[in-house]
Amino acid sequence: MNIFYNRIGFFTLFFREIHRFTKVSVQTVLAPLISNLLYLGIFAGILSTRSAGIDGINYLQFLVPGLATMGALMAAFQNPSSSIIQQKFMNTLQDLNSYPISDAEKTSAFILGGTVRGILIGTLTYLATIPFVHTGIQSPVFFFVSLGITSFIFSSIGFISGLALEGFEQMNFIFALIITPLTYLGGVFFEASKLSGILGMVRFINPIYPLVNLTRYAYLGVYEENIVVHGILAGVFVIVTFGIALYAFKKGIGIKIN
Amino acid sequence: MIEIKNLNKTYKRDGKIALKNIELEIKEGEFTALLGQNGAGKTTLINILSGNVKKTSGKVFIGGFDLDTNELDTKKIIGIVPQEAGFDTFFPLYEVLKKQSGYFGIKDNEEHIDYLLDTLSLTEKKNSMLRELSGGMKRRVLIAKALVHKPKILILDEPTAGVDIEMRHSIYDFLNELHDSGMTIILTTHYIEEAERLCDRILVINKGEIIADEPKEQLMEKFSKELQVTIYFEKEIKLEDCSFLMDYRPEVHHKNELHLTIKKDEINTAIQMIAQKNMHFADITIEREKLEDIYLSLISNR
Repeated sequence: MNIFYNRIGFFTLFFREIHRFTKVSVQTVLAPLISNLLYLGIFAGILSTRSAGIDGINYLQFLVPGLATMGALMAAFQNPSSSIIQQKFMNTLQDLNSYPISDAEKTSAFILGGTVRGILIGTLTYLATIPFVHTGIQSPVFFFVSLGITSFIFSSIGFISGLALEGFEQMNFIFALIITPLTYLGGVFFEASKLSGILGMVRFINPIYPLVNLTRYAYLGVYEENIVVHGILAGVFVIVTFGIALYAFKKGIGIKIN
Repeated sequence: MIEIKNLNKTYKRDGKIALKNIELEIKEGEFTALLGQNGAGKTTLINILSGNVKKTSGKVFIGGFDLDTNELDTKKIIGIVPQEAGFDTFFPLYEVLKKQSGYFGIKDNEEHIDYLLDTLSLTEKKNSMLRELSGGMKRRVLIAKALVHKPKILILDEPTAGVDIEMRHSIYDFLNELHDSGMTIILTTHYIEEAERLCDRILVINKGEIIADEPKEQLMEKFSKELQVTIYFEKEIKLEDCSFLMDYRPEVHHKNELHLTIKKDEINTAIQMIAQKNMHFADITIEREKLEDIYLSLISNR
């Protein structure tokens, strides 16, 4: 079985995933952007002068990369998961089975479509904060790479969820009970290493924590914990989540009848 | 064009045996009807060919490509019109067909898309969202989607369900045109007259097994046990004048038409009996049983 079988088919599917979310950009782009700016506005009002616990960094500077990462991962998760679940409801998901596009190409097209949306939301969140937080990015390339890695991982998780879940209720359940708590405990709004007890321990198994830390390092040039270890962890997450996504698709979970 | 060897399917979810030892070969250019009751296995067979259902065992070759080892190659030569209409609600019709072309690796396909829209009377709706189309139009969109990559094999799972009579006939003409151009077509339908009118080979599937597989004429010849004979007399006749034909269930219509139901090998005897009575007739028509009757008798015998 060829991995690269149908380049035009791959790009058609990839651009479809982008075209789909841009057609409803008020919900998919503007809404999360406003939500992130509200976070910034609220915290700017009450905590702007508070130190972030890192030398020379105020709280708002600390918050921006966290918000960008949160925006990226949530958007990246939602793109393939909602696309697949919508197609289940539209009764079009099985059409994928009839296209001469390899499983790797189909999986990649969905995941990269979500990755683009994640990077877009993460970048727009950063751009929207510039008037309020006058800080340049320490390493723009690393910042985009970090948003890209974050988005890819969560787009893969979204893809797996879309295949495995029956409907939007189940997706909201996963979102509310897993993604959102892990985001809050992952160092978006505060230093996760300062948490004590079980909540503090969660960061060692929380995939969001190293991703927030990497983006913050790219933005501020400072980091909370060992950046090399978090870089390696992010790489492992990329491989593992994509591997599971591809395996689930090849097995036909949610798309083929056994 | 399609070769199926010892194909079996048992659904894991409920253990239902959907197909049993299916052996089938469909040659290039054949127009085959796949008939069967609901749950007989027709859609399972089609879904295995399209990749929606995983087979339990057996081999399937499409256009010479093995479904197990060259699945992607098989998809390029097959077009499927599914039974249930599912539609992308995000994009208008023309965009849907352009994207469909792209999925099959075709970049500039506008000319062929325009031809399909025109032939299927959808040109006026090319910029409409699919949810705005009527049920019949949606069925035609499914046919256009299946043909966008110019497949060699077209499989239609009840393509005319919910389509009005006029449009149904226009679809028949289009399918005949495709058949004449050399396309291999497999049609499942609940309208038996559709199969009788269009197809040159009939497959009947029942409880997961193929119970009949013959050229249409041969099947009708083989299973047609009785003939419907209409004799047009020069003068008015009465039913009581035909009491000597009671074995053939006589009926008189329009004063001078006598309808008889006669076993194939008794037709000469019946006509001789009429001639001996000096009953002069102007014309005679002989009709075989309809495919529908043969189909029903095949199904009920199982």
